[in-house]
Amino acid sequence: MTIKIATRNVFRNTRRTLISLLVIGVGLTILSFVLGFVGEAILAAKRSLAMELGAFQIGDPRVLDGKASGLEGLIPPEIAERALALVRGLPGVAGATTQVRFAGLVGDERGSTLLLARGIVPEDCMTDYACMIVAGRGLGTTDAREIVLGERLGARLGVAPGDRVNVATGTVAGTLNAATVTVVGLIQYGEAQVEERLGLVPLGFAQRLLRTNGVERVLVWLDDLDRSSPYAAELNRAFSTERLPLAVRTWDELTPFFASLQTFWSAFSGFTTLAVFVLVFFSVLEVLTISFLERTREVGTVRALGASRGRVFAGFVTEGLVIGIVGGLAGAVAGAAVSLVFNSLGLTFVPPGGNMPQPIRVAVGASTLAIPFLVALGATVLSSLYPAGKNARLTVVEALRSV
Amino acid sequence: MQQGSFCYVAGTPVIEAQGLTKFYTLGKETVRALDRVDFTATQGDFAVINGPSGSGKTTLLNMFALIDRPSEGEVLFEEKPTSRLTEGELALLRREKIGLVFQTFNLIPVLSVAENVEYPLLLTKTPRAERRERVAARLDEVGLSGFERRRPDELSGGQRQRVAVARALVTEPRAVLADEPTANLDSGTGKQIMELLQGLNRDHCVTFLVVTHDPSVVGYAQRVLTIRDGRIQGEEKRGAPGPA
Ligand SMILES: Nc1ncnc2c1ncn2[C@@H]1O[C@H](COP(=O)(O)OP(=O)(O)OP(=O)(O)O)[C@@H](O)[C@H]1O
Ligand SMILES: [Mg+2]
Repeated sequence: MTIKIATRNVFRNTRRTLISLLVIGVGLTILSFVLGFVGEAILAAKRSLAMELGAFQIGDPRVLDGKASGLEGLIPPEIAERALALVRGLPGVAGATTQVRFAGLVGDERGSTLLLARGIVPEDCMTDYACMIVAGRGLGTTDAREIVLGERLGARLGVAPGDRVNVATGTVAGTLNAATVTVVGLIQYGEAQVEERLGLVPLGFAQRLLRTNGVERVLVWLDDLDRSSPYAAELNRAFSTERLPLAVRTWDELTPFFASLQTFWSAFSGFTTLAVFVLVFFSVLEVLTISFLERTREVGTVRALGASRGRVFAGFVTEGLVIGIVGGLAGAVAGAAVSLVFNSLGLTFVPPGGNMPQPIRVAVGASTLAIPFLVALGATVLSSLYPAGKNARLTVVEALRSV
Repeated sequence: MQQGSFCYVAGTPVIEAQGLTKFYTLGKETVRALDRVDFTATQGDFAVINGPSGSGKTTLLNMFALIDRPSEGEVLFEEKPTSRLTEGELALLRREKIGLVFQTFNLIPVLSVAENVEYPLLLTKTPRAERRERVAARLDEVGLSGFERRRPDELSGGQRQRVAVARALVTEPRAVLADEPTANLDSGTGKQIMELLQGLNRDHCVTFLVVTHDPSVVGYAQRVLTIRDGRIQGEEKRGAPGPA
């Protein structure tokens, strides 16, 4: 009966109730969208990073930890081969490749600028960045004298696919070396500062230029990113038993900023949750205060008939509960609908912290629905407490006298 | 339900006032709304308390209804003093033993006619089957069978007051207290309500206390008390009640 009366009271003033429900609905739609987006953004950043870096990398520990330049800790080819063989034999390994990185100059007679080059194995998007090409094509064979430039670097040099540029660098032995290469493509890279200096060349060509046959690091991709750490531990053990001078670093060890990125996103979600809670609390408080005070005389009537203060209080709080449940459900459904429509647009973006473009999706799941629902419920029930208490505290005579 | 013929406890006091005094303080001024009122209503009484506006009628009735406490004096309900009872104990007496009829009907607008009459029985946790039976009987008695599903705003004033009367009687109270029950009705409808109350008083052996300033109501009473400036001025007993 309490629920029946409360429900009917809630829908007594339809316009006012609709305003409450609208505020709750809009708040929850925003909240569930933000929660769903943030959850996906973290995942997308993780996927993007793991796509570029691999689930883990193998190399000289000093190089992997950034304490030495790549050329100081090159892996001899036979050791690199053994590491690759070891890794490729593991279950759940999606792919593996080798890279070497070096710094140099790139340009033509009009001028040169700093180049941060990566010697890569053209194979598939994971290893050769082909999916980030915005003009021209990706690299051909592993020996070709070709280069793919960051789009900004290309613009700075004033070159386009088909043009030739000179690349100069120091060899492993410390002498200078240079070559003329053809620009075959331009890529877009998430970080602008990197894109201004980035060049991709085939690994074989890079090795000739550097006069080495070693590689700097082995990148390994897994089917299941979450298994990076156990694999890394296992490989580290294998390397020490085989006395290989190698270490393994997982993708998140290689990107210490990812943890702070995650903290930032969580704080953002938390802040949005709080903001929506406060929004719902105050708007429902206002509506309920007016609505409850209008019914003070009814309170007087039922108290005169013998209803307790507790019953009156519970009745009003039940109204808050009903609004919370209805608004919470409506908001969760609206939030899910908006998210699904958004997902159906199939947009892509480079997630913050990542460089590889990812589909933008908004997660729709238990937490993006349940948290907004609980926020609505909590905020409306909380906002009903004060006006409910105010009405329940009145004496019967006071309540009956009010008009 | 006790029927008129079984009104064997007639003469037993139901509500008594002893030296009932009520002050209201408005700023520095003290209003004496009731001044040492003594009064006894016995089982089956039909008493009208009559007096001009501001004479203290509502104040007195609120004391009897146990929704207000006197400044001095005592209200006895079924011969037991009530001044020391807790709020919960007073509420229990109200829901089990007192029926109230208001000038403005005071039905719960979101409840149907039947639900309004049922409401006090929910407060007393009466079982469902019994609730239905009693609601049907009371609605029949006030002539509103067939109106069960209507909402109060779909009824005339007279019909609303009939619902209120049915609600007041549904718990089989010892006393029904009515504050100006006809003031918001036209005279014809007011007359019908008074006749209804009179009939119910006879049938149920319930004490009826009606407060009014309407002289036409006075004719229905066995006892007529006049109140002025918070004091009972006198009482007139009438053997055979009937319309004035
Ligand atoms: N809450 C209150 N605060 C101050 N004074 C009050 C209060 N209630 C009643 N009074 C005063 O007490 C006196 C009696 O009031 P009461 O309402 O009992 O009169 P009444 O006989 O019912 O009048 P009416 O016929 O107009 O309903 C009046 O002078 C009134 O102003
Ligand atoms: Mg009055």
